[in-house]
Amino acid sequence: MSFLTIHNLNKHFPQENKLLTVLNQIDLEIKQGEFISIVGSSGCGKSTLLRLIAGLDREYEGEIRLNGQPVQGPDLKRGLIFQEHRLLPWLTVSENVGLALEETALSLAERKNLIQDHIELVGLKGFEKSYPHQLSGGMSQRVAIARGLVNKPDILLLDEPFGALDAITRDILQKELQRIWEKEKITMILVTHDIEEAVFLGDRVVVMSARPGKIKCIIPIDVAHPRQKENAQLFNLRNQAISNLTH
Amino acid sequence: MSTLIKFTKHFISPMRSVRSWVIPLLLLALWQYSSSQNAGHAYAFVPLQNVYNAFIELLKTGELLVNTWGSLKKALLGFIFGGAAGLALGAFMAYSKIANALISPIFNAIRQVPLLGLTPLIALWLGNGESAKIFIIALASFYPLVINTYQGLSHHESKYQELANMYQFSGWREFRRIRLPQALPYILTGINLAVPFTWITTTASELLFNAGAGLGGVMMKAEANAAMDILLVCALTVTLLGIVMTALVRALSTHLLRWRPRHAA
Repeated sequence: MSFLTIHNLNKHFPQENKLLTVLNQIDLEIKQGEFISIVGSSGCGKSTLLRLIAGLDREYEGEIRLNGQPVQGPDLKRGLIFQEHRLLPWLTVSENVGLALEETALSLAERKNLIQDHIELVGLKGFEKSYPHQLSGGMSQRVAIARGLVNKPDILLLDEPFGALDAITRDILQKELQRIWEKEKITMILVTHDIEEAVFLGDRVVVMSARPGKIKCIIPIDVAHPRQKENAQLFNLRNQAISNLTH
Repeated sequence: MSTLIKFTKHFISPMRSVRSWVIPLLLLALWQYSSSQNAGHAYAFVPLQNVYNAFIELLKTGELLVNTWGSLKKALLGFIFGGAAGLALGAFMAYSKIANALISPIFNAIRQVPLLGLTPLIALWLGNGESAKIFIIALASFYPLVINTYQGLSHHESKYQELANMYQFSGWREFRRIRLPQALPYILTGINLAVPFTWITTTASELLFNAGAGLGGVMMKAEANAAMDILLVCALTVTLLGIVMTALVRALSTHLLRWRPRHAA
């Protein structure tokens, strides 16, 4: 049975006096524990799709169901990581990670343990008391990942999470994300414009075309995890995805 | 504890630097020189040893302590009442568009009236006792806090709003975690403005309403008795306490805004 079902999803934005179709007839079924990458040029509606799944935008036609339940607004079961880390500058690393637990019924001790575990998971032990301005961009995004995972969501949505990082940091964090995904066994949807990243991480790569945003094709990446960047098969699949995007 | 150490360092380091003492010492020398010219000069520029003697005398009789405490108590009460009311009104205006539309025109109109220009009216309402003084002092804290609290709380960023939505924050938690810390630099600026203004108003109100303990009252009496030495002791005490208060507020700002990359307070 499918875990996340998107059926006949359409999304329009009012523009001047007509409607602009951003997403057109999106159908997608995602299995539990799967890693889905969504690629497409800018303006193909991939970020909009993610925001709809997150529940931040509730105006759409069609169906989005998680575990059979229709998505109606944000829920702690769905974590979202933004392109910018979006940490609160006045809170320490621990406090920022703890934000996701504030409206849960967990005890203080349980929270503390979860926060510490996830700070260690993203490799930031020793930085618990640091403030965001003391961290590099990559470290900040690690905190954001810890915050996204700390309340054990059913699904983690990542909206170009490494888009603003330098190439070396991005490379490191892609490998880190693969490790975390394997360890936590959590469903992830990654939106990116970096095809190599999409292929390296995804079990399937959803290629979208723009105006209106449509699913062009879905490429299965049948390469066992953990993967190496240099893998020849990945390289071929990357080229296949590129030709799909550009034709 | 570390705050205390930081505070002491913050407060003492400019005092320690030799350069900051050059002009005050020169002025003191000039003062002392002037006082030694003739009797008329000695009245206007009281010799420093007389000021020192007056200080010791006022300290011995307890007059200085009692009146300093009198002034401080009023300033503190006025600051607490006025500051709390300012915070509350500023927050109310930031959260309610209707309240803002109704209140802000009249608030801005009243704010144009010089505080001490209101004294006859306040004397009529509250008499010329402590409550009238505290009222004026409270107004001095009230204005800057209304404006800055309102400014701080009313601009909010949608990216943090989204975060609050994601994590299902209640209105209270959103205020506690996002809007209040975001407003804090503004509120502290308000306090920074309010504290010296409050302290000046305290002395001024004592000069105008001459009743009860307070340094302003002592100054009035000293002026009537042509006791320039006592007047100077009071003026110096007021100045010194003003410096201490400003330094305290600055240390508090630095501590509360330690999450900022540079302490611009």
